[in-house]
Amino acid sequence: MTAVLLRRLLALPVVVAAGAVLVFLLPRFSGQDTALAVLRSRTGEADPDPVVLAALRARYGLDGSWWDQFTAWAGAVLAGDLGISYASRTPVAGLLWPALGVSLVLTVASLVVAGVVGVPAGVRAARRPGGTFDRALSTGAVLGVAVPEFVLGTVLVLTFAVTLPLLPATGWGTPAQAVLPVVTLAAFPAALAAQLVRAETIDALGRSHVTVARAKGLSGRAVLWRHGGRLALTSVTAMSGLFLGGLLGGSVVVEVLFAVPGLGRLLYDAVLGQDLPVIQAGLLAVIVVAALAGILAELVALALDPVARGEAR
Amino acid sequence: MPAAVPPRRRSRLRIAAALAVSTVLLAACGGSGEGTGRIVPDGRLTIAMAFGPGAGYAIDTDDAFVLSQLGVTEPLVASGADGRPRPALATEWARTDPRTWRFALRPGVTFQNGEPLTGHAVATALNRLAGVEAPPRAVRGIGLTAAPDGATAVRVTTTAPDPILPLRLSSANTAILAPSAYASDPPAVQGTGTGPMTITRLDGTQSVELQRNETYWGERPQLAGVTANFVPDPAARALALRAGDADIAQELPEATALEFTGDGYVNESVAAPRTASLLLNQSRAPFSDIRVRQAVAAAVDRAALGEQALAGSAVPASELFGPAVSWGSQEPPPPADPARARRLLAEAGFGPSRPLRVELGTYANRPELPTLATAVQEMLRAAGIEATIRVGDYDAREADLLAGRYDMYLASRSYLLDVPDAGATLRTDYTCRGSYNINRYCSPEFDALLAPLTARTDPAARQEVFTRAAAKLNADVVGVPLVHTRAGGVGSQVAGYTVDPLAKTLVVPGLAKTG
Repeated sequence: MTAVLLRRLLALPVVVAAGAVLVFLLPRFSGQDTALAVLRSRTGEADPDPVVLAALRARYGLDGSWWDQFTAWAGAVLAGDLGISYASRTPVAGLLWPALGVSLVLTVASLVVAGVVGVPAGVRAARRPGGTFDRALSTGAVLGVAVPEFVLGTVLVLTFAVTLPLLPATGWGTPAQAVLPVVTLAAFPAALAAQLVRAETIDALGRSHVTVARAKGLSGRAVLWRHGGRLALTSVTAMSGLFLGGLLGGSVVVEVLFAVPGLGRLLYDAVLGQDLPVIQAGLLAVIVVAALAGILAELVALALDPVARGEAR
Repeated sequence: MPAAVPPRRRSRLRIAAALAVSTVLLAACGGSGEGTGRIVPDGRLTIAMAFGPGAGYAIDTDDAFVLSQLGVTEPLVASGADGRPRPALATEWARTDPRTWRFALRPGVTFQNGEPLTGHAVATALNRLAGVEAPPRAVRGIGLTAAPDGATAVRVTTTAPDPILPLRLSSANTAILAPSAYASDPPAVQGTGTGPMTITRLDGTQSVELQRNETYWGERPQLAGVTANFVPDPAARALALRAGDADIAQELPEATALEFTGDGYVNESVAAPRTASLLLNQSRAPFSDIRVRQAVAAAVDRAALGEQALAGSAVPASELFGPAVSWGSQEPPPPADPARARRLLAEAGFGPSRPLRVELGTYANRPELPTLATAVQEMLRAAGIEATIRVGDYDAREADLLAGRYDMYLASRSYLLDVPDAGATLRTDYTCRGSYNINRYCSPEFDALLAPLTARTDPAARQEVFTRAAAKLNADVVGVPLVHTRAGGVGSQVAGYTVDPLAKTLVVPGLAKTG
C-alpha cells in the first residue's frame, strides 16, 4: 500500500499540471469576449464603450498572449495567489475556500448517507435475490437513478417544509438546512451503491471461499456481511472517489434549488460572467480534491480487499 | 416467495398513499397566507430576493440595485415612473451655468455610522463613481465631476450641458456612501449608507441581515429588521414562500404567482420598462422594403403572445414604450391581420411561387424568448413567411447583429438606462449614428425629432419627444414591439409591499409585517 501511495503522490503533480492547462484553456474556447462579459456582469451594459473595454483588457492582462497569461496565472498560483475576481474585485481565495468547504460538507455528507443507506440495502437484497425486499429495492433504485434532482428536491420540500413544516426549504448554515439538500444529492449515489453492492455481493457469495466458510459452519448472516458485503464495499469505495470530484463541482442544481452557497453555484455564476480567475481556481480545486479522493478511495479499497492488495504489491 | 399482502391491508395502503399524495398536491396548490391583517409593531421580514450581489456590493455595479431595494442607500434625487425628479438627499437643485448644477443637501442627515452628510462627502462619492474603470450607464461618458459648495451643497459639472443630470443622479449607482466607505475597493457598505435600514451582517452571496436605522432622516421604518436571502431559482423562491421561510418572494413566474391566492397574500405585478421586439434588418433585403416589415407587423398577434404564449406574464405591446412609464402607450396592439400581411407580401413580390424565407434568431438567457420565437414562427407561417429559428448565445452573435448580418432577431431590451428618461436608448438604438442600432434604421427626420433632447430639461417636454419618437418608429415599422415584460412578487402577511418597475425600491419605511 505504501508503494501505491508513493506512486500516486508522485503522479499527482503531473495530473494537476495537466488539469491546470485544461482549466486555463477551456474557458477561452467559449468564444466570448471576456472583457465584455465582465462588463455586462457588472452593469448589464448592452452598448459598451470600446475605451472602457480596452481599459479592462489591459487591467486584467487579457490583451497579452495566451502564453503570457498562462505563465502569469500559473506562477501566481504556485506562489499561493489565486488572483482577484473580475466580478467582485475581491481575492478569489476569499470566495473559493468558503464555497469549497460548503460543497465538501454537502458532498461528503451525501456520500455518507448514500453509503449508510445503499450498502446495507444492497447486502440485504443480495440475501434473497428476487425476494420482496430485492424487488422493492430495484424499484427504489431505478427511481433514485431516474428522478432528476430538481424533481426530487421539490417533492421533498413540498413534503417536509410545506406540508409537514419540519425543515427549512432553503439556506445553509444549520444542520436542519442541510437535511433536504443532502438527501436530494444522496439519492442517486445511494441507488447506484445499492445496485452495485447487491450485484457484487451475489457474485461474492458464489465464490469458493464463501462455500468453504459455510461448510465450516459460519452463520448465514456472518457469511453475508463478512464475505459478501465486505468485498462489495471495495466497489462502493472506488465509486465514492469518483463521485466526490463529480459532485463537488457538479451539484449546481441542488445548490441553486436550496440556495446553498457552494462551489457549484460559485462556478455557475463565474462561467456566466466569464470570471476567469474564479473559474480557473474553482476547477483546479475540484481536480486536486478529486485526485486526492481517488487516491484515498484506492487505499481504502486495497485495505478492504486482500486479493487486490496482493496484486498491488 | 414473497408473502402476499392481505386485500384489506392492501386497500389501506392504497388509501394512505393516495392521502399522502393528495395532501402534498393540495399544499402545493394552495397556501395559508391568512392572518388578522394588523401591523406587527417592530416586526421582522424575510425576503427571498431574485438577484444577489455579484460584485461584492460594489456601488458602481448592478449590486447598487440590491442595496437600494433593501433600503440601505439613497441617491441625491428620487424619481418614479412619471420621470420627474423628486427630493431625496438633495432638497433642491438648479442649473448655475450650462454645464453645472448645484444641489442643496438635506440638513441634519447623517450616515448610518454617524458621519455627517456634507458637500465634501457627496463630492467624494460622486467623483469616485465617475472615476471607476467601467462607470455605470447613468454617468458614463458625461465627464462628471463634483465639488463641495460649502458644507451643505455640492456642484456637479459635466463636459457638455446635460439637461437630465438630476435624473441621472437618481440612479441607484449614484447613491451616496460615507467617505470612510471608500477606504476599500469595492467600497464598504456596512453602516455607510443613509437609508432606513442598516446592514448588520453580510453573508457573501447567500444572505444579508439588516436592522432599522434609528437615526433615519425620514419616516421611522415600521420594521425592526429584515433578512434578505438571495435565491436565484424562482421555484425555490416560491417554495420558500410556501414553507414560510420567506415573507416576500420576488419575481415569481406568473403561473406560480397566481397560486398564492389566500387572503393574506399580496400578489403584485407591474409592467417593467422592458420590451421584447422583433428586430428587422433594414440594411438588406427583404426588410429594407417597408411593405415586408409591415407584413410581419400585421402577421403577428401580439395579444396572443402576451396572454396565451406567455400565459399573461407579459403585456402585449403596441409600441416601444409601454405602461411602465407615463409617456408609454396604454393602447392595446392592433389585431393581427394575416390577409393584409399576404397582400403586402404579394406587393413586395413574395407569394406561393416565391415564398419569403428568413432566419429568426434569438437567445435563451431570457426564457420567454424561445417561447415567443416559436409562437411568432407559427404566426408568420400563417401569413406565408417561412422563418427558421436559430437560438444561440447573444454575445457570440452580437457582432453579426451590429454589422447587419442577420434577417430577423428577437431580443429583449430595457428602454431606460437606470434613469426614467428614454433619450439615451432612442439615440443609441435608432439614430443614424447610434452605436447600438441593430435595426440598421436611419432616418434624418427621426434624428431631427430627437434634437431638442439635447437642451430640454423639463420632463414633460422631453416625454412629448419620446411619444412622438415612438410613433415615428411605429410608422416606419422599425422592428415590431411584441410584449412588455412584467415584474412581480408575492408577499405573505405584509403591508406596504409594492413592486417598483425600476427595481429601485422594496424595503421602504412603510413596509411592515402583519399578524
